[in-house]
Amino acid sequence: MRNIWLVARNEYARMARRRSFILATLGVPLLILGVMGVSILVSIRSDRPDPRPIGFVDLAAAYPTLAPRQAYAGDNDVTVRVFAADEAARAALAAGEIQAYYIIPQDYETSHRVQARYWKTAPSSRVDALFRRFLRASLVQDQPEDVQMQLLRGVTFDARMVKGGRPVEGGNEAEFVFALVLSMFFVFVVMASGGYLLRAVSTEKENRTVEVMFTSVSPLQLIAGKALGLMAVALTQIGVWVVTLLVAAGVVSRFVDFLRDFVVPWNLAGVMLLYFLPTYALVAGMMILIGSVFTDMQQSQQIAGVINMVFMVPIFFLMLVFTSPNSPLMVALTLIPTTAFLTVALRWAVTAIPAWQLIVGWLGVVATAMFSLWVAARVFRIGMLQYGQNLDLRRLVGIVTGRGAVAPRGPHA
Amino acid sequence: MNQPTVALLGLRKSFGPVRAVDGVSFEVYPGEIFGLLGPNGAGKTTTIRMLLDIFRPDAGEVRVFGGRLDDLKKHRIGYLPEERGLYMDLKLEPTLVYFATLKGLDEKEARRRLTDWLKRFDLYDHRHKKVQDLSKGMQQKAQIIATLVHQPDLIIVDEPFSGLDPVNTRLVKDVIEEQRAAGRTIIMSTHQMYQVEALCNRIVLIDHGRSVLYGEVGQIKRDFAAHALLVQGQGDFSRLPGVLEARHENGAWRLALAAGVDPQAVFRALAARDDLKVERFELAEPSLDDIFVTVVQGGARAEAAAAAREARHA
Repeated sequence: MRNIWLVARNEYARMARRRSFILATLGVPLLILGVMGVSILVSIRSDRPDPRPIGFVDLAAAYPTLAPRQAYAGDNDVTVRVFAADEAARAALAAGEIQAYYIIPQDYETSHRVQARYWKTAPSSRVDALFRRFLRASLVQDQPEDVQMQLLRGVTFDARMVKGGRPVEGGNEAEFVFALVLSMFFVFVVMASGGYLLRAVSTEKENRTVEVMFTSVSPLQLIAGKALGLMAVALTQIGVWVVTLLVAAGVVSRFVDFLRDFVVPWNLAGVMLLYFLPTYALVAGMMILIGSVFTDMQQSQQIAGVINMVFMVPIFFLMLVFTSPNSPLMVALTLIPTTAFLTVALRWAVTAIPAWQLIVGWLGVVATAMFSLWVAARVFRIGMLQYGQNLDLRRLVGIVTGRGAVAPRGPHA
Repeated sequence: MNQPTVALLGLRKSFGPVRAVDGVSFEVYPGEIFGLLGPNGAGKTTTIRMLLDIFRPDAGEVRVFGGRLDDLKKHRIGYLPEERGLYMDLKLEPTLVYFATLKGLDEKEARRRLTDWLKRFDLYDHRHKKVQDLSKGMQQKAQIIATLVHQPDLIIVDEPFSGLDPVNTRLVKDVIEEQRAAGRTIIMSTHQMYQVEALCNRIVLIDHGRSVLYGEVGQIKRDFAAHALLVQGQGDFSRLPGVLEARHENGAWRLALAAGVDPQAVFRALAARDDLKVERFELAEPSLDDIFVTVVQGGARAEAAAAAREARHA
């Protein structure tokens, strides 16, 4: 265990000191903070509550007369002043007594269109929404208070399969977006860790350090130490990003209505963690294999790029994820080990994935990961001592099947 | 003699159809420097890798410190491979500390010992430099420090003098002698035969995966005394029957004879030649270089002859 820890610590320290890592780790939070700042600024500028009332002129007498009272919005102070005629409202607007006014025209019964009048700045979307509530409130003002509340609040759907399963709430865009971002972060960690691991294995081979390492640690300890250290690197990275994202979401939600009801999707985080380990093990096995087989980093990275594409296939079907999350293709991608993680992450936000798909998909990833690590461990010992030449397919199969191990071709025998 | 530190018994290792090591056996004892010799591709590195448990032998037995190699025993071994292995993008001191801790030292002790070694090898002022910024010789010295810093009982060095200038060669030689004097076991693989003659007590010569020569250096030289001649005279002595190699040194010809060739036969052949005038003819104590050539080239010729015979019979 000590050796695994030492290798892991060394890998972590080496990678965490790289300029590219520091830039990426701090760059994303800076980007998030930048977006947060802009969001707040825009929100403050556009939604700064104008304390002045809004005017209301009902030329069609379409709505029951409302006493000029605080509009039904709950958390703002904008009041509505009722004017009998357009001219009076216009005069009040010109005098700056009101920020804008709305006219129900005489042909409202046929046109169903309300006109808004303003001086320089059009009423914000928030003021528009406020006025709509005011109209609805005027229609239900004779109802008991609880009925009024119910009518004004509307309905939130809780879609759930008859056979049971996780409810998918409708209408919370913030949670959807956050779930998507969180999923992408997890997927990024897996791919990034795999990339780091490939680099570490290739570097070990290029630097010829592996022969010295093998006299101190076993190949398995070396693989395990590197995989754990680099997973910690990626988790550090995502940790910094997620914490920044959560803090930013918390701060921005005070200013932006869109995020007001934001709740962290812990259940998604749990499922992601469950998939994370076997998927990482699968990627790690593949990267160790590539790093052992090829002689230099450039070749290894080219092959790893193709492998990464296989993992990213669900991205190409992003539209289908949103429009038909339960289509046979999506189910198939959920069950294929290389695409399961990303597909589950994307589908989670839009549908309730049946439990059997999650279980079968997860077991598939676990089984493939174990196979991948087994193959990698067999090839690692000989492949890493293969200086100057790639292992060809015949030799690779020979090592994996154990039917005639092959000589490491290098300057020595 | 004491219990051997290393005992290899009938080691065999094949890679597919290629038999890399074919029944190699030898023992190495505490307090000796043992030469592991052989031409390129003879099977030396594979033998070392089996000794270090990097490869598992197909047959035979490896005993290190009296038994099978385990993690604790690995801490008692220092290995300098011919293919140098340092992390180029790391600074020198952290790299050496890392290797030392993997050998069981705690970090504080590793740093303390490294300070002494770095000063002795004139690398102390370079300890904060990245390895890639050091010269080849400096990297070689750093690698030697990594091999010795944990005070191993068994030291295996493959071409330890590679890339070193005469001053540093002398330094490394002194260090190896010190380790021997301290009772440590040293296995040295090198093609620099004069270093083997200067340092090694015993040797094994491996060729085509087999041990073809094994024993004390002095005894081997005595055994091969009839296989080398020193001839002085006029003419070209390089092409004589039964002579594997002829070197012109200090005005005389040093002739390495093929196995089984009688020096008297060579003398008669010289006397029969009108184009050569012999002024001096004596048996020479062969150098290890001569012995190496005699054994390896002789073996190669014997194999070629056997292959030709087989081809004729087929």
